[in-house]
Amino acid sequence: MKRFPLSTLFISLAIFLVGCSNTNETEKTRAIEQEKPETELIVSAAASLTDALEELKGPFEEAHEGITVTYNFGSSGKLATTIENGAPSDVFLSASSQDMNNMEDKSLIVNESRIDFAENALVFITHKDSDSTISSFEDIDPAAIDHIAVGEPESVPVGRYTKETFERLDLWDPLQDKLVLGSDVRQVLTHVEMGNVDYGVVYSSDAFISDNVKVLAEATADWHEPIVYPAAVVAESNNQEAAQQFLDYLTGDKGEKTLQKFGFK
Amino acid sequence: MLEMDYSPLLLSLKVAAISTFFVFVAGVFIAYLLAKRDFFGKSILEALFLLPLVLPPTVVGFGLLILFGKKGWIGSWLLEWFDFQIVFTWIGAVIASIVVSFPLMYQSAAAAFESLDERLSNAARTMGASESRVFWSVVFPLAWPGLLAGLVLSFARGLGEFGATLMLAGYIPGKTDTIPMAIYFAVESGQMEKATFWVVMIITFGFSLILWVNWWSKRNIRRFTKS
Amino acid sequence: MLHVDINTQLAHFEMNIHFEMCNEIMVLVGPSGSGKTTILNCIAGLVHPDHGQILSNEHTFFETGEKPLPARDRQIGYLFQDYALFPHMTVEKNIWFGVKKNERKESNEMIHQLLQVLGIEHLLQKYPHQISGGEKQRVALARALATQPSVLLLDEPLSALDTETRKQCQDELLRLHDMWKIPFIIVTHNLDEAERLGNRIIFLDQGQITDEKWKRYVVSTY
Repeated sequence: MKRFPLSTLFISLAIFLVGCSNTNETEKTRAIEQEKPETELIVSAAASLTDALEELKGPFEEAHEGITVTYNFGSSGKLATTIENGAPSDVFLSASSQDMNNMEDKSLIVNESRIDFAENALVFITHKDSDSTISSFEDIDPAAIDHIAVGEPESVPVGRYTKETFERLDLWDPLQDKLVLGSDVRQVLTHVEMGNVDYGVVYSSDAFISDNVKVLAEATADWHEPIVYPAAVVAESNNQEAAQQFLDYLTGDKGEKTLQKFGFK
Repeated sequence: MLEMDYSPLLLSLKVAAISTFFVFVAGVFIAYLLAKRDFFGKSILEALFLLPLVLPPTVVGFGLLILFGKKGWIGSWLLEWFDFQIVFTWIGAVIASIVVSFPLMYQSAAAAFESLDERLSNAARTMGASESRVFWSVVFPLAWPGLLAGLVLSFARGLGEFGATLMLAGYIPGKTDTIPMAIYFAVESGQMEKATFWVVMIITFGFSLILWVNWWSKRNIRRFTKS
Repeated sequence: MLHVDINTQLAHFEMNIHFEMCNEIMVLVGPSGSGKTTILNCIAGLVHPDHGQILSNEHTFFETGEKPLPARDRQIGYLFQDYALFPHMTVEKNIWFGVKKNERKESNEMIHQLLQVLGIEHLLQKYPHQISGGEKQRVALARALATQPSVLLLDEPLSALDTETRKQCQDELLRLHDMWKIPFIIVTHNLDEAERLGNRIIFLDQGQITDEKWKRYVVSTY
């Protein structure tokens, strides 16, 4: 029983490696055959954007011949640090204004390109089989709850917004010993999905991609700092034009629709 | 001076001590049962015991959630019959720590029993000793240095357990925040002073523990060996 | 009276051994791997033969198809090769290990006498690693006899000793046998020793008795 996953792991690893080398070779040969300048656009993006951006990749490349998009996903703070340290990157898509402000202060981005391309909301979720009757954040009764999973407020952005919201509603202190603090939003989601906590607070885009949770309520936007996703062209980029094209596409019709499809606003 | 909450220290010690107790009893018992016996599937069983040692802690944690979660196989049963919840309690931390430190105890105990001269227990048997007397007056004292090493390793491992604990016990300040969790979240949120404090604490503790065991076993193993 | 009838499959050959003995010293001689120690282990109950019968006086140790008597109930004295003294116990604790709590009083005098005969009274508080090979051998003998066994098994009892100590210990063994008057079975591969100690010598090879010699006269060597 235990050998099975291990061997599967090795096999899939082998397939993955073989697959990688194959694509590299075909890409190389194609580049040589066409003898046409190909632009590789490196987009550093917050992890929560993964699904939406992967879906955008194909249509964008089709619409812009000669541009290939490569994503580099990670937490906004870590991405900002790597860009500052000279890692190649053309576009930066952040999940927090704070990180983008820092970049702007250090002149690491093209200031006039900065744009807020998406918004997210905070939602109160429960397991899909739950029969909870809560329909707004104000309905939350600390005495009737065993555990709520939230992000750790000092280190996880979604936790910070959650804390602001609960403080605004005077629920933070009464909920103190009911709060299970997750080290990232994924963990919060897992606790709710597995039914180990009664409720959780995550971004609406996170709740959107999980089949095992349902959204009970959405937090009013002015209860917390706005959750916006700023984007900008990286100052050091050699592909300024293509980078701007990507931003335009993202904020255009197609981009907006795709983002909405994945729970962003 | 730092305004410190010392509850992680007490909780960590409590969790590590209780888990070490269970791990020691179970590890010694099972290792003694299996030592010097050979049967079909023994190596599979042993590999299963050692599995938590090689698996990433999050995988162990996930497995434990599947078992002990509110909707888990064991967890749902406990909840229904005893109204007892393991997930997000300090008992969850104990269980996580038991699972990850058991392999260390089992390994040490198995090696200790394996290296004992079988003639010593046989000599005791021919002198009319019951199996329990053979164990307590011959096997246990002679295997003790190895068992102690396993005990200390398990305790240290339990003290440092993070990944599986975070999954099963969650992070509830004041209830399930062990030292490793305090360190992790302090680092993540940039509270370097707090993180440093706990790091120094756990290093000092772990280091002196290992130092003491080395010193102790050197002194005591020498006593039993032939000059 | 000891009756031994052993049939058992070993790794490289089948063992078929049959003998009966009274309160004599029987020596088993044979090359290493010929099954000598297996015979002792079968009598002591540490291993069991496939078939056969082992009887000591009125006790059945082993009988084909029946549950064998556990080693601890056989009242056997067993002197292991290298003695197997408990390294974490003093000589005194080693010797008293097999004496039952309710028999301590009665045994006191016997053990005291035993210690005197063997000349190891001054070693009582020492640990095994603090005494010499010959002393260990005597302590192990005392330990095996302290349980008042009905049979004494000795596996290469003198092989670890130098020639001088060896002579002394041989004499001691004979003296003890004279006092105790129980069957002694001694395993050795040294023919001189076998002839010096045994009333009866059994030669073993590949699990079979190949020859048997009797000493017609019983000599006291002291």
